[in-house]
Amino acid sequence: MTSARPFRLATAAAVALSLAACSGGGEAVDMGDGAGDASGSSSTQGGTLVAAIAGEPDNLDPHVTTAYFSFQVLENVYDTLVEPDVNLEMQPALAESWETSEDQLTWTFTLRDGVTWHDGSDFTADDVVYSYTRIMEEQLSPSWRFSSVESVTAVDEQTVEIAVSEPSPNLLANIGGYKGVAIVQRANVEAGDINTRPVGTGPFELTDYTPGSSITLTANPNWYGGAPAVDGVEFRFISEPTTAVAALRSGEVHWTDNVPPQQVAALAEDSDVELGQVGSNDYWYLALNQQHEPFDQVEVRQAIAYAIDREGITEATMFGNATVNQTAIPEASSWYTDYSTYDFDPDQAVSLLEQAGVDPADIPMNIMVSSDYPETVQAAQIIASQLGDIGIEAEITTLDFGAWLDEQGQGNFDMLMMGWLGNIDPDDFYYSQHHSEGANNYQGYSNPEVDELLDQGRVETDEAARKAIYDQVSTQIADDASYIYLYNPDVVQAWVPGLEGYEAMPNRAIRFREASLP
Amino acid sequence: MSERARNVGGVTEPDLDGRRSDHEVDDHDIVIKEGPRGWRRTVLEVVRRPVAVASLLILVVVVVMAIFGQWLTPYGINEVNISRRLEGPSAQHWFGTDELGRDILTRVIASASVSVRVSVIAVAIALVVGVSLGLFAGFFGGWLDSVIMRSQDVMFAFPEILLALAIVAILGPGVTTATIAIGIVYIQVFARVTRASALSVRTETYVRASKSLGAGPLRQMFSHVLPNISAPIIVQTSLSLAFAVLSEAGLSFLGLGVQPPEPSWGRMLFDSRAFFQDAWWLSVFPGLAVFVTVLACNLLGDVLRDVLDVRGAATTRGGGVR
Amino acid sequence: MRYVLNRVLQSVVVLFGVTVVVFLIVQLVPGDPIRIGMGTRFDPEVYEALRRASGLDRPPLEQYLSYVGRALTGDLGVSFRSGQPVSHLIVARLPATVSLAVVGIVIALLVSFPLGILSAVRNGSVLDSVVRAASQLGVSLPNFWLGMLLILLFSSTLGWLPPSGYTPLTEDPVEWLRRVIMPGITVGVVAGSILTRYVRSSVLETLSMDHVRTARSKGLPGRIILLRHVVRNALVPVITVTGTQIAAILGGVIVVEVVFAWPGLGLLVYDAVRARDFPLLQGAVLLIAVVFLIVNLLVDLLYAKVDPRIELGGGDG
Repeated sequence: MTSARPFRLATAAAVALSLAACSGGGEAVDMGDGAGDASGSSSTQGGTLVAAIAGEPDNLDPHVTTAYFSFQVLENVYDTLVEPDVNLEMQPALAESWETSEDQLTWTFTLRDGVTWHDGSDFTADDVVYSYTRIMEEQLSPSWRFSSVESVTAVDEQTVEIAVSEPSPNLLANIGGYKGVAIVQRANVEAGDINTRPVGTGPFELTDYTPGSSITLTANPNWYGGAPAVDGVEFRFISEPTTAVAALRSGEVHWTDNVPPQQVAALAEDSDVELGQVGSNDYWYLALNQQHEPFDQVEVRQAIAYAIDREGITEATMFGNATVNQTAIPEASSWYTDYSTYDFDPDQAVSLLEQAGVDPADIPMNIMVSSDYPETVQAAQIIASQLGDIGIEAEITTLDFGAWLDEQGQGNFDMLMMGWLGNIDPDDFYYSQHHSEGANNYQGYSNPEVDELLDQGRVETDEAARKAIYDQVSTQIADDASYIYLYNPDVVQAWVPGLEGYEAMPNRAIRFREASLP
Repeated sequence: MSERARNVGGVTEPDLDGRRSDHEVDDHDIVIKEGPRGWRRTVLEVVRRPVAVASLLILVVVVVMAIFGQWLTPYGINEVNISRRLEGPSAQHWFGTDELGRDILTRVIASASVSVRVSVIAVAIALVVGVSLGLFAGFFGGWLDSVIMRSQDVMFAFPEILLALAIVAILGPGVTTATIAIGIVYIQVFARVTRASALSVRTETYVRASKSLGAGPLRQMFSHVLPNISAPIIVQTSLSLAFAVLSEAGLSFLGLGVQPPEPSWGRMLFDSRAFFQDAWWLSVFPGLAVFVTVLACNLLGDVLRDVLDVRGAATTRGGGVR
Repeated sequence: MRYVLNRVLQSVVVLFGVTVVVFLIVQLVPGDPIRIGMGTRFDPEVYEALRRASGLDRPPLEQYLSYVGRALTGDLGVSFRSGQPVSHLIVARLPATVSLAVVGIVIALLVSFPLGILSAVRNGSVLDSVVRAASQLGVSLPNFWLGMLLILLFSSTLGWLPPSGYTPLTEDPVEWLRRVIMPGITVGVVAGSILTRYVRSSVLETLSMDHVRTARSKGLPGRIILLRHVVRNALVPVITVTGTQIAAILGGVIVVEVVFAWPGLGLLVYDAVRARDFPLLQGAVLLIAVVFLIVNLLVDLLYAKVDPRIELGGGDG
């Protein structure tokens, strides 16, 4: 689980604070020359890769932003201690190696030597300490990932020690799952520049930002993984899928992820376009508010789980570019639990309602979806239609994401539909949403057995035992219909034929570090 | 019976969209025949013209669809049928199906209801408030007039759609907000028209007569002035209805008006944006419905204007919330 | 002169009213605008800090004065969503909208003038009927629908033009033209239709005026009469109307930008409304309203200058 949802919600908090400190608005955003010596674009070999993304980053501070668009850019600007590879296994990044103490309570990371920031200064263990401390103390977006971390210390310039309060098998995923936990530079943060002019250690440095239009990155020849093959990357904000695809076809952009599901089939056949499609770890679900009667009755929730045609919804909204799943973790993952109790059975739904002694006509049903995710708006209409078939009259409330989050937080919904993405460790998929004390348990689910299992799963270091625990967890959660799972969408990206060195990743990380243009 | 008509070098053809400042819309530009023209004669004049008849017919159809729509439709409004989605026009689906397999003809018919509702209520709001303001301004003149007209100028300083968008931003999207927004935006049109007419009639004999008979200002305004300036207001109502339909469609097209699953022509266009380039029927039919309805209202308004002989800048500017 | 002063004064008063309305946008939000922006990341401390930073904890009058004061220096506050200065965001989007508006106006003028004049001169002819019908259709046409139809025809079916997107004129004039033509037509058609009717009636009016008939009876060749007298006189009220239509175009641009994904001020406003980003919305609305006001003021003054029959000193009733 992650907080890296693809939305545009800004914590104007830190931003406004730092901006207020910097004498108000009217501040120039132009990058100007800055650290311009890395912008040697005279080499014709590299070229600039133009990538069309569907929206504009709201904020470039990795610890603060939760917008996916920001992370598409930041993935190339920052590094973490460890990072997932294409199979979502954690590999060394800024940390070359690590050890865990016998009692599992101390992790020691040895950092890579000779890494420098984009401004030329040296990267040291202090930077790691600073970054993690900042996240924890200021309670920034990813702070939940450090819930078991007691302290972070720099043993020497190249060694960092992390002390945890209990064995944390998911620590690596927590400190490296996405760039929200990137290592940032103290000077950059304290100067208040990080949200518009981030300085990282990554394969590219940010050299230009034209609000409303594009962000330009220039290759960092000193990156620890070697200089990128391209001279730079230009991220253009193109919100209209048809525009993005047309631009790709004409060669104006080299890469885009703004591909409408209904065009995927056609694009797969198109020789002008190369399609990358891989299952993701994202999942979309429905949640029934158990604080609203009669959704506190499990039979009612189960009834609804039977009343819904998952295949139909997936087909209609995703045009088949998703895999139906009745639990959260996708089939491709080693943590997958095979579960298929529910099917599309309106009769079963009706009889369950009878068993529960609930008359469908009495059930208040307001489906809350966000206009920022049009596929959920569509799905809601399908669901309303299917609920109508079993006698439940449903209304749909469409809100912009900020308002949606607000309502969710206050528990003002009967049913909602949303997705979680970027999940890597099984704990990500389940803890915060289904533990009674979970931070994101808005549906009000509480099952002490599940709580115990989740707590155990967090600290169980034996993989087989852990798998067994999470199998139980996912089965119980699905049986209880705490969430009614729908599908795991595919990651679909398209690029020009001949673009090498790029792979679509299941966690939607966009890495151009090894890309080269045709 | 005297007729007062003066032009300030202004254009006299009635279908002016938009007057910019007060000097265009003052008593010089409005021609009012004294006394109501006789409804029967008006109606006869109207039905003499084929354009008017056609428009009326269309509007009647729209209203019938609005009221009886749910019994006239071949399919359910939200009858999802995923296996039959994005099918072009055929014998079973005259207008084709949308991305969820719903029958488009059904939804086009059902959408008439919300369009009629929104435009009627919005125009009613604008009418009641605007005419009252205009009457007070025109009748009393002086500082009240200045205050009212300045406030209308302020409203006028915003393009209509911008004002509507601002109201939607404040109150949140939805059909109620859209109705209120459209109503508020059109107040100033009615205010101006009413004021201009009231100004020209204020000093007429029958008004002065009623005053000398002891009628108070309210009585004068509503019983004597208002009936005699009904012509431009009627014309304006027809035109404003046209633009209100257009505005609701526009706001819904932006996703800010009618919300799903309630169907609306504008909303259908919004939903079609992802698919219409490969499925033309998704956008052609709902848009056609809007177009035809608006056209009918506009044509009717034109005819009414001719028949009631109202000349001058008695229309909304800019073409509504587009 | 008194008219000019009056008119300017009137504009100032209206401007003041406009700033009040814009300022009220945030004040009238039911619920808490900051809380709406924060969503689930609500934190009492951070919330307080935001309140102080945005000035929403001060009395309304003080806020208003501060807002206007800062606006005069070009500081329109900071976007709730992105933290960027609003003025920067707006300025970045201006070229695209200006492109579109200018093209729209040009198209509207190019269409309306010849058609309006011809139609008036050949009053009653088939051409006249066609023009009148067409302009009536144009006025009733929803511009977003027209945009979609154009895309259907020229992009999906014929494949001649790209369906959306923007290329700056300075970057590639040909591409710019290919992209701006459809949105430009969409914007221009409605204004053009309205203008056509104005031009037509204005010319008709002038043609029937005494001094024209006199000139004709004096035996002057028709063409000269047309050019010299009619057009010049007819153009006077049309100036005013063009001013209005510029205003209408500014409004229409918003929807057209959405249809064509044109990254201009209109699309910015739309995104701000959807994201409930109030400072950004306020800034954009203020700018557009001010431009509106100025255009109208200029048009009125121009009209007054050109038409000697304007009552002087009688700015308003």
